This record gives sequence, structure tokens and C-alpha cells, in this order.
Amino acid sequence: MMDILITENLCKTYGTGETKVDALKNASFSVAKGEFVAVVGPSGSGKSTLLNLLGALDTPTSGKVFLDGKDIFTMKEKDLSVFRRRNIGFIFQAYNLVPELNVEENIILPLLLDYRKPDKSYIDELLDVLGLAERKHHLPNQLSGGQQQRVAIGRALATRPAIILADEPTGNLDTKNSRDVVSLMKLSVERYHQTLIMITHNQSYTSFADRVLSVEDGVVTDLEGVRK
Amino acid sequence: MKSYLSLASKYLTAHKKKTRLVIISVALSVALVTGIFSMLDFFLQFEKIQQIHEYGNYHLGVKDATNEEKQAITSRMDVKNAGTWISFRNGNLNGKECRLAAVDQKFAPNMQITLLEGRYPVAENEMILEAWAAENLHLKVGDVAKITFAGNTEKKFVISGICSDYGNTKAKGMPGVYLSIAGANEVNAEKSTGLLIEFKDGININDVQKAIQSSLKLADSRIIRNEYLLSVMGYGKSNTVIGLYSTGAVLFCIILIAGVMMIYNTFNISVMERVQQFGLLRCIGASRSQIKKLVKREGLHITLRAIPIGVLAGMLLAFLCCGILKYYNRSLFGEMPLFNFSIAGTIAGIAIGVFTVFIASSRPAKKAARVSPVNAATGSNEIKISKKKKQGRLTKMFHVEVAMGINNAVVKKKTLFLMSCSIAISIVLFLGFQVFVDFMHSSLKTTKPYTPDISLTSEQGLSNSLYEKLSDLSGIKKVYGRMFGYVDATFHASRLTDAYKQIIGNVQVEDNGLFIPPEKSWLISYDKNQLNWAKTDLIEGELSEEKLNVKHGIIAVAHPLRNGVSIETAALQLGDKVYIQTPDGTKEMTVMAILRTVPFNDSVPSLTTFITTEKLFTELTGESTIRIIDIQLDSSGQEQTVSEIKGMLDDSIAFYDQRQKNAEINGYFLTMAVFIYGFVAVIALISVLNIVNTMNTSVASKTRYLGVMRAVGMSGAQLDKMVLVEALTYSLTGCIVGCIMGIALQKVLIYNFLPRLFTIWKFPYVQIVLILILILLVTVISIISPLKRIKAWGIAEIIS
Repeated sequence: MMDILITENLCKTYGTGETKVDALKNASFSVAKGEFVAVVGPSGSGKSTLLNLLGALDTPTSGKVFLDGKDIFTMKEKDLSVFRRRNIGFIFQAYNLVPELNVEENIILPLLLDYRKPDKSYIDELLDVLGLAERKHHLPNQLSGGQQQRVAIGRALATRPAIILADEPTGNLDTKNSRDVVSLMKLSVERYHQTLIMITHNQSYTSFADRVLSVEDGVVTDLEGVRK
Repeated sequence: MKSYLSLASKYLTAHKKKTRLVIISVALSVALVTGIFSMLDFFLQFEKIQQIHEYGNYHLGVKDATNEEKQAITSRMDVKNAGTWISFRNGNLNGKECRLAAVDQKFAPNMQITLLEGRYPVAENEMILEAWAAENLHLKVGDVAKITFAGNTEKKFVISGICSDYGNTKAKGMPGVYLSIAGANEVNAEKSTGLLIEFKDGININDVQKAIQSSLKLADSRIIRNEYLLSVMGYGKSNTVIGLYSTGAVLFCIILIAGVMMIYNTFNISVMERVQQFGLLRCIGASRSQIKKLVKREGLHITLRAIPIGVLAGMLLAFLCCGILKYYNRSLFGEMPLFNFSIAGTIAGIAIGVFTVFIASSRPAKKAARVSPVNAATGSNEIKISKKKKQGRLTKMFHVEVAMGINNAVVKKKTLFLMSCSIAISIVLFLGFQVFVDFMHSSLKTTKPYTPDISLTSEQGLSNSLYEKLSDLSGIKKVYGRMFGYVDATFHASRLTDAYKQIIGNVQVEDNGLFIPPEKSWLISYDKNQLNWAKTDLIEGELSEEKLNVKHGIIAVAHPLRNGVSIETAALQLGDKVYIQTPDGTKEMTVMAILRTVPFNDSVPSLTTFITTEKLFTELTGESTIRIIDIQLDSSGQEQTVSEIKGMLDDSIAFYDQRQKNAEINGYFLTMAVFIYGFVAVIALISVLNIVNTMNTSVASKTRYLGVMRAVGMSGAQLDKMVLVEALTYSLTGCIVGCIMGIALQKVLIYNFLPRLFTIWKFPYVQIVLILILILLVTVISIISPLKRIKAWGIAEIIS
């Protein structure tokens, strides 16, 4: 299997002197195409820093990230935003939907930003799979938390990106909704051959993953989890 | 921390940048209010000086006051000064028409009579006259001059003194002559006598007038009111003047509202942004009233810091206006102190500042107190949207970033409303004030290119050789002559206005629809230059010498002056035929242009005024001698040139020196212009600040949202576009509303409030284009710095 994501000696340091914090220390690992990777670790361990670096939302102090063969931190901001909307899908803990746009618009937003015409049958299929077909004209604040997170999953899948990054997608949800969302993510990843990296607090969801990475005090270790 | 209330000052210190922004905008609003009130205060003071200079420093007059009445009035406590004024209907000084009057010595300064040399006339046979006239007539102190009164009574007077020039009489070439009261009483000619009264400061003149009238049983017809001065002081009763000032008052109120709105808006935004923070305080046990107190305390802190700055800045603004006026018109405003302190302005600024911040903080305080702690804690209640489903048409019509920009603006109806209103108000004000500026430009002659410095006229006509000689004289900028004469002209009777028919009575109409002219019409010739200059007054048609000559064209004047009053006598239209009696029989002419008015006045009442080319004028009247020569002088070495011109003239030519009057009118124009443009600048500033402020806070409050957009893949350019479209939606909505309402206001002002000014309304293309450019520019500038700030932050910092 081809590696879609490779990190080399990724480091991130915040602050200087006494307030200096090493959020990430020499992280080197790779993720293969189609893999579902769970990232676990206590709060403050550097999970979110890692994910932000992988998604090019933040710049590392040193080190490299290759996504789909491209060194993302050598790209200019302008190219990077295009690269991001085509190749990376984000799912946040707080959903971060655009409150003024309806469900369908939120899902196709990355496509619209790319001036592409959405593939109607694919979007309808996505809405179906996510159980949102009935609510495509609803606004985010008319939906439950679970439904909102499903919209966010739809948005991440809309462009068929190379990789999807999810930062505690179940953090704001109850147990039932959390389980639904995680299994839906798993389903989508398999169905559309996506690569998913998910941060989670909940150890029980690691069973869904192909591989588990643990982050502790900024150090990333491969737990050699339940590899298929 | 002694009390929870110190949280307010802690918050303000912690968020230095935000606090500074709020303080600046509140201070600016206070500055604007203070500035406007001070400017208005100063404006009235300057106006008062102007009016006193123009019409004399008296408030009331009593015609033909008897000695008992004089005694009763002068002994009143509230009278500061009073004096007898006698004016004669007409008179001649050594054969030259002059203005004759007499005034008590103690009241002479009130009537702007300043003695330059000699002494004030006391004896029956003494007189003084203006300096320019003394020089012209070669008279000096001690000489004897002959005055012919109406009814041909002649009398000799000794010149006891020379007084300073007065612009109006100098321009008319009518020397102002003052006799002694004793001398004037002696003369048996038509004259009017009155007691002029100046009251002490702070007296309600209308009340005093009533008291005097009732105690002395004076009829209204015996009271003279100095309307212009009284209007400035707020006791006016004249409709035109009150109309002008009340229109100003309306516009002024709108400015005030705009200022108040800006403070409100700023404070509102600053508190509403932190609703969540207040909710969190509620979570940890703050009561509603505590939250309210906290918000109000914050308002107090801001007020205390912003108001002194604002008041100071406002005073500076007003000083600037005064400074400009003093600099340009030293003679008139020399006495005004530069650092004039307007108590009214300062109090208004402070009061309005405190009041508005109080109101502006109490409403958001209530809202903040109402926030549910749960919503605040989860942050789930960011934007309230109606329960309507959304079809998403916008995203199908435009690129998504454009659609979202529009959407962002439209969804927040209240912000959209406030922003558009504020912009619209400014535009309405700008267009409203434009009416005044236009009026001043078109009504005050000196602002026009054809205003002469010197005019020469002669009954017999001025020779061409004189014209040539003047043209060759060095120190002269331009010389242009006019012929004029009176002709019998007729046209279709239906074109005569009712106003004219009322004056004339019965007008006989012939079978062919033409009327028999009851009066002659004034016919004036224009050369190419003058036709060109007249374009500023052109209502309709074309001013081309060639075309007029070829097509036998004539130019009609919509509002000619009749006895010095502008009146519409004939409503002629383009293409109307006018039949003029000439020595060779009747000639048919065609109206090819219509002018608003002409800058000339004639003592002979005429039916109407027509203008034509020099060639046609000669054809129509058989005359070819110039009757008037206007001269414009170079700015340097004027006195030398003037005396050279005088040397060329013989006794039959009247010499009119218009320079002093022009300068006075210019000064008057400047007074108005400085304040009006000052107001307009202040209004524009309010708007600009409002746009900048709103965009700043709007972008700042959406930091997280914009971060998410970037995470989802919005590029920097798209982000710029989205924010710009949002800003444009606000400003263009305001712009459109403002332009429509502003144009409506212009029409209402011109046609309903100020119909006597005869201004013609034209669609204000230039102004609207100017407004558009300015608004677009400000909109673009307003988003630059907040966007820069946002982009400087990493996306991860914003959204996590």
C-alpha cells in the first residue's frame, strides 16, 4: 500500500525561555492510503498540535509533512489554501458549520470555493448515507448536535480529499450519537476509500481504527493496535 | 479586587486595543457634537457681525417718534443705546445722486459710520461724506458743497469731516452723505424719521417690542424691525430668513442624530460582542442587576475618559473654522478672539456624550442580563435565525464567497439597518447642504467669472475708442461691453404669468393671440465671452453666437429683476416666437435659450429682459454704441490702474467701483461656506468612522468563523472578496437609500421651503458620483487593517 502521508521529525515549540513548551517532539510516522488511524492521549499531550500541522493549519518549528507526495510547508499560502480545500477534509469538535448556510450548502462549500460544479448524484448519495436527505434545506441551528456533526462529515467528504482529519469529532456528543458518528465515519471511509486520522479521548473507539497512535508529552508512538 | 464592579475597569485595561477603539469613537462623536454646537454658536456670532455691518446695529425702530416717546424709550432700563435716524428719499451732491441721511452722534457707531478725519456734523450747515466720494468730487474738510433735496430745495453745507467707505454705496456710485440732526430737521423735503434702538444683551426683543407698543400705544406700522439681525439672534419674523435658518436647523438636528447614533452603535457593538462573557458571569452566580451595573460601570469608565478628549477635539475643530475666517476677513472679524470658547458647545458635547453613553449602555446591559447561562456556557447561541428553511438561491447565482458576503450582511438585519441608516443620513445631509452651497454659488455674484471690478456707464453711449484704449491699458485683465436699450416686444399672451398680470392689470390681446405690450422690454447685447459665462445660468437651449445670428435667436430670462426684486413675468419656452418693433418694422425672433437670471438690475421697470448678440442688437435697434463697459483688474497695482482709467473719462461717464462691495460679498460667502463645508466635513467624518468602526468590529467578531472558512479551504483572496462584498452590501444599501432620500430632500427644500430663492433643481450627477467613489474608497480602506490582523494569526490559533 502506498503511503499518502509521511511526517519527518516534526517539531513544534510554543513560547521561549521559561514559558517554552515543546508541544511536539520529532514525530515521524506514515499513514497508508485507506487507513483509519486513531490518535489517543491525555489532554495537553500535543494531539491537536499534531493534527493542525498535518492539516497545514499551523506551521511546524521544524520538520516536514508530505501529503500525497507534496511537501506542504514549502507551498505558498495561496497554493496551500487551494491544496487544502482539494486534499484535506476537516471535522472539528465544535462542528464549525457556517450558520447562514443550509445543510446542502455547507456540504458543497469546499467545492464552491474551488469554483467546481458539485456532482449532484454524489452529493445526494452523501446526504442519503448521512441520513440528511430530508434536512438538506435546514440551517445548522435547526439541527441536533449529532446531525450537525454529520453535516461536517459530509463537508469533509464532498471533495473526495486525500485525507480526512477529525479532531475529537464526538467530544460534544452523547454516547449514542458518538457511536453513530464514528461508525458513519468508518463506513464512509470504507465506502469511498478515504484515509482518516481521528483524535479521540474515548478508548472504545480505537477498536474501529486500523491503527492507533499515542501521543504523550509531545512524543508520538505507534501502538501497533488492531492492525487488520 | 474589592468589589465585582472593579471587573469593569480590569476588563478595559486587559483589552487595551478594543478599549482604545471604543474610547476613540465615543470621543469622536463627542468631538463632532461639541464641534457642531460650537461652530453653530460661532457662526451666529459671525453672522451677527456681518448683519450689523450690512444693516446697522439696531434691533427696533419707531417711525416718527415724538419727543415724549423718545423720552419714554431712551429712559428704559433695557435700552443700551438709541438715536434718531433721518433719511431723505433722494438728493444730489454737487449734481451727483447721493444717499442722504442724518443720525445722532451717539448712535453713529451703531450705523457703521466711522469718522476718518474732521469732526462729526453738529451745526445745521455741516455734513460729512464717504472718503471715496470726497476724492471723486475733489472735496475736502472745510469745503462747501451744494445739496439738492427732493423738490429742488437747494442748500449749501460745510464739510466737517470724512467717514470711511461703505461697500454698497461705493459700488452704486452713490456717495453716502450724513448731515447733522439739526440740519436735517431744518430741511423741508420728503424724509422719514425714526428712533433706532439697540437693546442690552440678553433681552427678549420680541417681548420688549410688545411692552413698548402697548405702553406707548404704537401701531405695528410704526415699528421698524432689523429682521436680518433679529433672525440671527433668534427673534426673527421674516419668512425668507426664517425659512433659511429653519432649514438649517432641520439639517443640524439630523447631524445631531447621526452623532448620537454613532456613539450608540459603537457602544452597542462593544457590549454585544461580549454577551457570552456576561453569560459566563451569570453561570458563576452574578445576578441580572449585577450584570447591568457592570455594563453601566464600563460605560461610565469610557465616558470619563472619552468626553474630555472629545470636547477638546471639538473645540479645536471650531477654532479651525474661526481661524480661517479671521485670516481671510481680518477687517470684519478682527475683534473676534481666535480662541473663542463656546460654553453652549461644550455643555452640549458633554451632555450629549453622557446621555448617549447612558442610553447606549442601558439597552445592551439589559440584553446582557437576559442571556441564559446555559447558552453562554456552550456557546450554542451565536446567531439567531428564523425557522424558515433556506433554499440557497444566492449560492447558485454568484460565486460562493460573493453569495456568503451578501448573506452575512443581509442576515444581520439590525446591523444592516444601522449601517445603512448612518450612511444614508450622511448622504442625505450632504445633498441637503448642497442646496445651500448651490444657492450661494448662484446668488452671490462675486463667485462668478463675469463680476466686474469697475463698471463704466453713459447715457450717450461709450465710444469705441475708449473701449480700445481700456483694452490696451496694462493692469487690466478683461474689458467687456454691453449695449442695452428698450424695445416693444410681444409674444403669445398665454406666456404672461399671473404675477405680471396682477402688477399691470388689464393686458389687451389681439386676434392673433399676441398682446399689446404694456411696457417696454429690456434688450441687452452679449459678446462671446459673456455668452460663455452665462452658461452657468442656462436652464434650457444653447448659447452660440453663430447660431443665434443665423437663426435670429433671442435669449429669454426666466427670473429678471424688476425694481430689484426677482420676478417671473413671462414663462417663455424654447422655440417661442417673439415679435420686436424695430425702426424697419416688426421682426420675428425665436427663443433659443433660457437663462435663470441676469446679474443686472435696471431702475426702469420693464416687461421682461431679452439678451441677444451684438450683431442682432444693432439690427433690432439701429444702435451700435456700447452703454456699459465692465472691467476686471489684475490683482496687483490696482490703484494705479484705477486712476489711469479715471483720467480717460469725461463727466458724462459714470464710474462705479465695485471692488469693496465684491470683497464684502466674498467675505459673506466665505463665512457661510466655511461653516457649511465644515458641517459637511463633520458629517462625512461621522459616516466614514461609522463604516470603519463597524467593519472593524464586524470582522473582529467573526474571527473564528473566518478561521473555519480558511480551514475548509477558502483562499486569502476569496476571504478578502467575501468581507469586501459584505462591507459593500452595507455601504451600497445605505448609498442607494441615501441618494433617493437626499434627492427627495433637495426637491422638498427647493420647491417647498425655499421657493423664493429661485434655485433650479438639477439631478446631482457629480455629487452622486463623488459620493459613490468616496463610499467605495472608504469601504475598501475600512476592511484592510482588520483583514490584515486576521491573516496574521494562524488558523489553528483561531479555531482551537
